[in-house]
Amino acid sequence: MGCGWGSVDNMSPDILAGLMAVFQWEVLLFLAAGVALGAVFGALPGLTAAMGVAVLTPLTFWVSAEKGMAMLLGIYCGAIPAGGIPAILMNIPGTPASIASTWDGYPLSREGRAGLALGINALLSMIGQLASVLFLAFAAFPIAAFGLRFGPAEYFGLALFGISLMAGVSGGNVLKGMLAGIVGLALATVGLDPMTAYPRFHFGQSEFLEGISFIPVMIGLFGLGEVLDQMSGSQAGLGQMPQKLGRILPNLSEWKRMILPATMGAGVGTFVGAIPAAGGDIASVIAWEQSRRMSRKKEEYSKGSVEGLAASCTACNSAIGGAMTTMLTLGIPGDAPSAVLIGALLIHGVQPGPLLFRDHRTLVYTIIFLMMLAAVAIAAVNMLGARPLAKALQIPQRWLWAGILLMGIVGSFALNNSVTDVWVMSAAGVGGFLFRKASIPLGPLVLGLILGPMMESNLRRALILSRGDWMPILSKPIVLFFVVVTVASLGWPVWKAVSRTGRK
Amino acid sequence: MSTAGLAVTGCGRERGAFPAREMKLVVQAAAGGLSDSVSRIIGSLMEKELGVPVVCENRPGAAGALAFSYVVRRAPDGYTIGHAPVEIAMVRTLGYADVSPQKMELLSLVSKTQPALAVQAGAAWKTLGVFADAVRRRPGHYVVANSGTGSIWHVNALLMERAAKMRLVHCPFSGSSGAITNLLGGHVDAAVAGVGELASHVRSGGLQVISVFDQTRSPLFPDVACVQEEGFDFGASAWSGFFGPLGLPEAVAARLSGAIQTAFASAEFQKLCEERGMTALYLDRAAFREFALEQAGFFESTLPALLRGAA
Repeated sequence: MGCGWGSVDNMSPDILAGLMAVFQWEVLLFLAAGVALGAVFGALPGLTAAMGVAVLTPLTFWVSAEKGMAMLLGIYCGAIPAGGIPAILMNIPGTPASIASTWDGYPLSREGRAGLALGINALLSMIGQLASVLFLAFAAFPIAAFGLRFGPAEYFGLALFGISLMAGVSGGNVLKGMLAGIVGLALATVGLDPMTAYPRFHFGQSEFLEGISFIPVMIGLFGLGEVLDQMSGSQAGLGQMPQKLGRILPNLSEWKRMILPATMGAGVGTFVGAIPAAGGDIASVIAWEQSRRMSRKKEEYSKGSVEGLAASCTACNSAIGGAMTTMLTLGIPGDAPSAVLIGALLIHGVQPGPLLFRDHRTLVYTIIFLMMLAAVAIAAVNMLGARPLAKALQIPQRWLWAGILLMGIVGSFALNNSVTDVWVMSAAGVGGFLFRKASIPLGPLVLGLILGPMMESNLRRALILSRGDWMPILSKPIVLFFVVVTVASLGWPVWKAVSRTGRK
Repeated sequence: MSTAGLAVTGCGRERGAFPAREMKLVVQAAAGGLSDSVSRIIGSLMEKELGVPVVCENRPGAAGALAFSYVVRRAPDGYTIGHAPVEIAMVRTLGYADVSPQKMELLSLVSKTQPALAVQAGAAWKTLGVFADAVRRRPGHYVVANSGTGSIWHVNALLMERAAKMRLVHCPFSGSSGAITNLLGGHVDAAVAGVGELASHVRSGGLQVISVFDQTRSPLFPDVACVQEEGFDFGASAWSGFFGPLGLPEAVAARLSGAIQTAFASAEFQKLCEERGMTALYLDRAAFREFALEQAGFFESTLPALLRGAA
């Protein structure tokens, strides 16, 4: 297997051609338009990166491949960092990828450090994207081969590990966290059985045959739930919106603290992104929790830790490069937006897959350069926008509540043009409110909703492949790795506690 | 609501003035898939032909049943039409919603996609016959991936199993891409999917297609025998068409069908078909109606027994 760049001598003309294809004012214009549109799709909850790319794909039918890709990649790379903005300012993730960014970003902005949180989101998102694009440029094929090794058993292992993180994202109260996690897992069972297509818990409503849509639940839990909580006045003092924006740029000591979590975020994000059907949401949760474990200031996590925000921002953005790697090298989508990009490339007569690196090498470099430019462009937009956006929060609170409510309703309807989804959002909002009142953390619930279907369907597929035998599943190296890590991470605190009492 | 009422009266006053305002084309799948691409391309070409905007609206869910039920309940004024995939003939039998071609005004069929059996490029099986022999020697050993229980490619895998008198293990994934990825990774032995979805992986050397489930070969794989040549008679292609609510005025239905036909004949649509591995195939209103009803009858009579046998 050849590695991306290979020997420089015979590649450089392609690199140069790729660069030249990018630096044409028309291409740059399409890229800028894409980034701007992406920022809108990302910042509005309910509108996703995949939706933005899909809606704009037919428009690119009438322009050249470079211009089309410039626009679509701009949307993709612009949407994910922009999704962090509402996560930080309003506790509502703009796209599922920025769920983990709410955990530290929102507390930061409530402390009056919204500027810093937005700055970290802008800069670390860019770093995450650039790092993952470098992975794509230099190690595309090894990363893609890793992604292909994920069969049903390996997905089960990954999901198992992910679910073990519930304890870590419980914010100190593991018992309440588990309760929330179980609610999430239970909600995830609604809909057609993934193996037999037998309808479960849909109460005769065909709207629920495909399960409860995740995005309306997310908008309800985080958005409406938060509004109701603030309106009920339980957060007296906190009810005041941050008056101070604070500085935007992190200082030197903050940069030093962010190096480790950002590196880990970039690594985890790229590899999780490369695994088909596992994207930025899972990547950022894993990176956030792992960086918490390694941090010397664990107690700051979910209370406004710059490290936690750095880990989640880099991870969800590196997932872009990972997903693009799998898409370009194997022709299989790494996540939803890259699935749509395959369709767009096909329209232009370009077939993603191993042959792309032989027949359309210039286009590969064009894509790499476009992604780098998009990463820088959206960072600039986010930096420049930080001050006016944070200012927006100083409008009277009741207007903000109304705005969030309106955005939640429009967003949850726009996803599938479904009124049912609006009801789901409303129910989730009431649920989120009650959970807040009872101090039950929402993180585990979200993990259960995301990972429940992945774990169930893949365990059952793995058991079909092994004819019901557990040994072939557990003896796969990747599965074994996840099981050992899961057991170790759950067992470690117990062992530590036991050994401490033993010593006393 | 009020605008719809106005438009209907407007339509009656000046006959032949349809369409006078924006139209809605409801797609039963999420944005970005093949159904979405077909609808958006046809929709944008219809715009030019009809002179009004045609806005695509995605209403995914329940194998398309939500979108189909939505469209058939709209006023039959021609301003809301829907994409009609093979699932319009399946969802009633699958029990997802009480909607079927009988309840639709079928406008035009524009393409079909042949099903095919794929294995890894290195596998020794080169024809369906050889594959079937191997499976019959070890019943219940080989795993064939499909795009979901009750999906059109799963039905094709079941039809193959029945016709070749063999016993396979069926493993459903969510969508063809999951099935194909797992075949590429060597986690399953074979997969049934549409020829277009498989073509890129055959070209890049990851997979080989060993049989096309149709009476004719696929232009994408001129060297691969179709089942007819191997003495089998089975296969249910996927297809793409358009429909409106029952009771469309004759002139409106004719106008819409005509616009779709013009779009069908365009270079853009032909290119889309070629690139996505669909067979461009046009059926007018009467022919599409006959075809869809025949398909619905076929699924009604075969699906329950096939799926029961699989469980």
